Amino acid sequence: MDLTPLVEAAQNSALSEWMRTSLKAVAIINALHVLAIVTVFGTILIVDLRLLGIPNVRRSFTRMHHELLRWTWGAFGISAITGVLMFMVNAVTYHRNTAFWLKMATIVLAGLNMLVFELITAKSAPTWDKGVIPPKAARLAGALSIVLWVAVIVFGRWIGFTKGYDFTIPENVEFDFSAPAQ
Amino acid sequence: MHDFAEWLGSTPLSVAIQSRLWLTPTLQTIHILMIGVVFVSMLSVALRVLGQVRTEEPLAEVWHRFAPWFWTALGVMAGTGLILTIGEPVREVSALSFWIKMTLIVIGIASALYFGRTVAAAAAVSSVYSGRARVVAVATILLWVAIMFLGRWIAYDVEIWESWHLA
Repeated sequence: MDLTPLVEAAQNSALSEWMRTSLKAVAIINALHVLAIVTVFGTILIVDLRLLGIPNVRRSFTRMHHELLRWTWGAFGISAITGVLMFMVNAVTYHRNTAFWLKMATIVLAGLNMLVFELITAKSAPTWDKGVIPPKAARLAGALSIVLWVAVIVFGRWIGFTKGYDFTIPENVEFDFSAPAQ
Repeated sequence: MHDFAEWLGSTPLSVAIQSRLWLTPTLQTIHILMIGVVFVSMLSVALRVLGQVRTEEPLAEVWHRFAPWFWTALGVMAGTGLILTIGEPVREVSALSFWIKMTLIVIGIASALYFGRTVAAAAAVSSVYSGRARVVAVATILLWVAIMFLGRWIAYDVEIWESWHLA
C-alpha cells in the first residue's frame, strides 16, 4: 500500500502549514505529547507491576485496574492527537523514518498484548484479585507490557535524533567533495 | 555563567560526552522514562487527596507505596540530567526554560520533603480532604506538569520565550 499521496496531503494541509509557520505550536504540542506519553507509561507501569506482584498483591487488582484505566485512556487519547499533529508537520520525513515505523509497530504490539490480556487472561481476575500472585499468563502480559512501552518511548526519542538523516543516497550521482560548500 | 558554560563545554569530560553520539539520546530516554515514574507517583498521591484513587487506603500508606519510587526515579533524573547538562552546558544555561525548571524542581522537592514529614499527622486527621488540601494537590500536579513542559522547551527556548532567551 502506497501511503505517499495521503502523507503528502497531510503535510500540505492548512493545519500542517499553520503549525509550521506558528512559532510556538510545535513546542506546545510536543510538550503535551511528552506529558501524555509518560502518563500512559506510568499508569500502565503501576498495573503491570501489580500483575508481577511488585511491590505486593495487597490491593484488589480489579479495583486498581478500573481506577487507572480512564487516566491511561485519557492520556493515550492526548498522545494520539498530539502525535498525529506532530506527524502532520513533517509527514513526508516521518513517513520515511525507520524509528517512526518501529514505534508504530510497537504500539500495535502493546495494544495486542493488552487485548489478549483483557479478553482472555483478565476473565479469571476474580480468582486472583488480591492476596495471591497472579497466574503466569497475567505476569507475562505485565512483563511484556513494560518492555513494549519502554520500547515505544525509546523509539519515540530516536525519531527526534534520526528524522533529519534517514535518506538514501541517490544512485548515479557523482559527488564532488573537493568543491567548496555552498 | 556563560563563560563558565563555555569552559565546562571544553573540558575533557564534556568532550567525552559529546563525542559519544548514542549517549545523549540514551540518557534523554532514561530521563523521560523516569519522569513518568516521578510524575505518576506524585499523581497517585495527589489523586488520593482528591478522592479519585485508592480511597480505601489511608493517605500515609499511599505515600509510603510511592515515595521510594518517587525519590529513586528523581535521583536517576538528577544523574542523567547532570550528565546531559555537562554535555551541552551552553545550550542549558542560555535557556530560560532551564532556569525556571530548576527553580520549580527545588520547590517540588522541598514540598515533597515537607509532605513526607507531615503525612502521618495529616492522615490521622481525616480520610476526606478539605478544600485547602485539594488546592495543594492540584497545584502540585500543575507544578510537575510545568517542570515537564519546561524540560521539553529547553529545545524550543527561542520559540517559547523569544527575546527572553538568555543567549
